[in-house]
Amino acid sequence: MRYMFLTSGAETGAIPPQRMIDEIELLTEREMAAGRMIARGGLMPTAMGSAHIESRRGKLKLTDGPFAEAKEVLGGFAIFEFATREEAIASLESFMELHRQYWPEWEGVCEMRPMFGFGASAAASEAAPG
Amino acid sequence: MRYMYLVSAVEDGQPPPERLMEEMDKLAKQELAAGRMIAQGGLYPTAMGGARIELRRGKVKVIDGPFAESKEVLGGYAIFDFATREEAIASAIQFMELHAKYAEGWEGVCEMRAMFEDVDDGCAATEGAAKVNATA
Repeated sequence: MRYMFLTSGAETGAIPPQRMIDEIELLTEREMAAGRMIARGGLMPTAMGSAHIESRRGKLKLTDGPFAEAKEVLGGFAIFEFATREEAIASLESFMELHRQYWPEWEGVCEMRPMFGFGASAAASEAAPG
Repeated sequence: MRYMYLVSAVEDGQPPPERLMEEMDKLAKQELAAGRMIAQGGLYPTAMGGARIELRRGKVKVIDGPFAESKEVLGGYAIFDFATREEAIASAIQFMELHAKYAEGWEGVCEMRAMFEDVDDGCAATEGAAKVNATA
């Protein structure tokens, strides 16, 4: 089953400590070499080129970033392939443990979501993720 | 410049209308063929295997989905390559217009975010998967 990890935090403008960046690079190299990490990406701060397009009651509305109402915003993502949900949770925990250890003042959330279109059944929309 | 689109809506358990799915497939095929779409993906409802792990004041906490406090949750994403931000905005509007037209009553938001490009991110490698989805 394929999983997407989405990491959000407050936009404080703080740059992650070099040690944490190094550790995440190590983790990425290891997971990509093992074939578990499929892709990843980092998003620029919402003040840099972002926008929201909302559809409400049939009307579209465009708002340029940064978004005043957003407490925590998405900063990056990764896509993994795991045999079991337990493996996915363990990986999620080790990723957040890196943050706790090497960037203790950071607060945020990593959301893990199974993805359509991969895994045991091609008719994934009808199958419950494992 | 690479852009990520993230589409969120309330989880009402309703499958998208068939016509919207067809129109989105058509758009995806066209954008993949043009080399503008790099990758795309859909996420299962948060009740199906989703989890959140929070780090607050040095403490890590795991919460299984669904997430009671969430009004709108992420349902899918796409990654595009555009020469200008205007092109990116126009594409996001086009995508949301499909929803306005073919999914009456649907409400949600598409967040468009510029991506860092200084890493080997593997996103292009997911293009094949996106193509399979787009031609399915």
